[in-house]
Amino acid sequence: MSEPTPRPIRVTRSRRPATASAVLSAIAVVALLSLPYVVYANVTSLLVNLFILLVLATMWNLLAGYAGLVSVGQQAYIGLGAYIVLVLAQNGVSPFLGIPLAAAGCAIAALPLSLLVFRLRNEYFAIGTWVVAEAVQLIAVRFPSLGGGTGASLPGLGGWDPALRLALTYWAALAVVVLALAGAYLLLRSRLGLDLTAIRDDEVGARSVGVGVSRAKRIVYVVAAGGAGAAGSLLIISQLNVQAGSVFSVQWSAYMIFVAVIGGLGTIEGPILGTVIFFALQQTLAERGAWYLVVVGGLAVLIAMYAPQGLWGLVSERFDLRLFPVGYWLHGDDAHTEGFFGRLRRLVGRD
Amino acid sequence: MGAPLLELDRVSKRFGSVVVAESLSLTVRTGDALGIVGPNGAGKSSLFSVISGDLAPNSGEVRFDGRPVNALGAAARCRLGIGRTYQVPRSFEHMTVFENVLVAAGRGGGLAGRPAAELAAAVLEQTGLRVEANRPAARLGLLQRKRLELARAIATRPRLLMLDEVAAGLTDPEVRQLIEVVNGVRREGVAVIWVEHVVRALVGVVDRLICLAGGRFIGDGSPAEVLASPEVKEVFLGTGYGVGDTPGGGAGR
Repeated sequence: MSEPTPRPIRVTRSRRPATASAVLSAIAVVALLSLPYVVYANVTSLLVNLFILLVLATMWNLLAGYAGLVSVGQQAYIGLGAYIVLVLAQNGVSPFLGIPLAAAGCAIAALPLSLLVFRLRNEYFAIGTWVVAEAVQLIAVRFPSLGGGTGASLPGLGGWDPALRLALTYWAALAVVVLALAGAYLLLRSRLGLDLTAIRDDEVGARSVGVGVSRAKRIVYVVAAGGAGAAGSLLIISQLNVQAGSVFSVQWSAYMIFVAVIGGLGTIEGPILGTVIFFALQQTLAERGAWYLVVVGGLAVLIAMYAPQGLWGLVSERFDLRLFPVGYWLHGDDAHTEGFFGRLRRLVGRD
Repeated sequence: MGAPLLELDRVSKRFGSVVVAESLSLTVRTGDALGIVGPNGAGKSSLFSVISGDLAPNSGEVRFDGRPVNALGAAARCRLGIGRTYQVPRSFEHMTVFENVLVAAGRGGGLAGRPAAELAAAVLEQTGLRVEANRPAARLGLLQRKRLELARAIATRPRLLMLDEVAAGLTDPEVRQLIEVVNGVRREGVAVIWVEHVVRALVGVVDRLICLAGGRFIGDGSPAEVLASPEVKEVFLGTGYGVGDTPGGGAGR
């Protein structure tokens, strides 16, 4: 700082422009959007479940992979989201309109609950979030109008043509997943994202350079609750009924953890890869009952031991690949960097 | 003499029966450069942590710029202007060197966007890390990590910079480089507290030296005075650091 010579600097968000992955993402979304016209509803229904898990894993990755908040109680918000949609539908609100309302409701509920669970650290935090989830379930089954412990069916979608209903459900799930991924991406690209990445790597170090760690964690907790609430609302819409023991089940947390650990914590891409692997295993081993869970669990243990960066970590390190660039690249004075299309032009000899 | 910047008022810190700070009082003024020496386990790093907000004292008050900061966390104290390095570097491993410094410029330094990036780049230049800018911190060696600690602390735009053994393991030319960097920061009006075993680095910067042993200050004055004091020699240099006339040398070790 002794009179730093003001040299022109250039900073971009990745070494090379991310045009290629933007184009790929757009193509993927368009292809997925048109799917209900192409395939039978059993495929789209399967994808709805995949999208629900992807939303959950993405949110859990923000919590545990970035903010260091290992929650095993996100099912509190899955269940709460489902029940918010139920209550709204019982009062004449369209279940599809209920999705954003459920997400907002869960985010709002997470704020006071964060005051409670943030008093706990590490393993105590994990247990505390689970206890909160159980408590929310116990409250939910107290209301006979919500079906108590036996469950309730979702009104408001009965008169719809099943094909249309399933297509709309699929599109709603796709919209939620795109919003969740885009939201996570924009969050991590923001200033808060840089804070979170620092917290991920060293919390004490982050504090020492002025990062408001508690504030960042609270924001992530609220966002993740909203995401879980949206996932829960998709769950009740796709199943047309809700059962407290199922939506508040701790197995949701187990799934999120498996998926995020297998794919890789601390990247946006990791949970996507993890979800795809989880579903591939589930489908191939479907006839053998719950064996897929044994395989998935074993895989998660192996990865946690030998590849803590997850499968995406292995891929991205090997090929220097990032689909969602959230970092900062300081270009040198003479650094020439070209994008995907630049390289393409050079390859075909037009440059 | 500048205005009092940092004041410790009878600060005590214990871990069980181990006393790392026993009713310590200290005033550091704007523009001061204070060195702290002392044997291992004397409480030097703990003292830094009490000042930076990583540790809460058992009693006593820490004031910065005339204002009690006991109730403030480490991040808030950093934003007020207390910057520090850690003896064991706390790099953000999976972030690049540039990103490591950018967080500091953005939060501690209170800058955003282009000015933050410019400050980060300038600090990398100043600390000799510019060529490593886009490398993940995990790929740096220990000495480069220590440099990154220094760069990060400078990027928070501190008014008080606390350095915890940043010179350990450096060669003579590297020590001279480091002295130049720290003196550059001093010229901006930043006060410096420097804990260091490498005395030749300290004397190139500080004008006041304190010896800390067993949680107590046992010497306070110019570096030459303090290093010559028999009591300091006994606890700090006692094991025959080329000092012949130390009475009872080595007894404490």
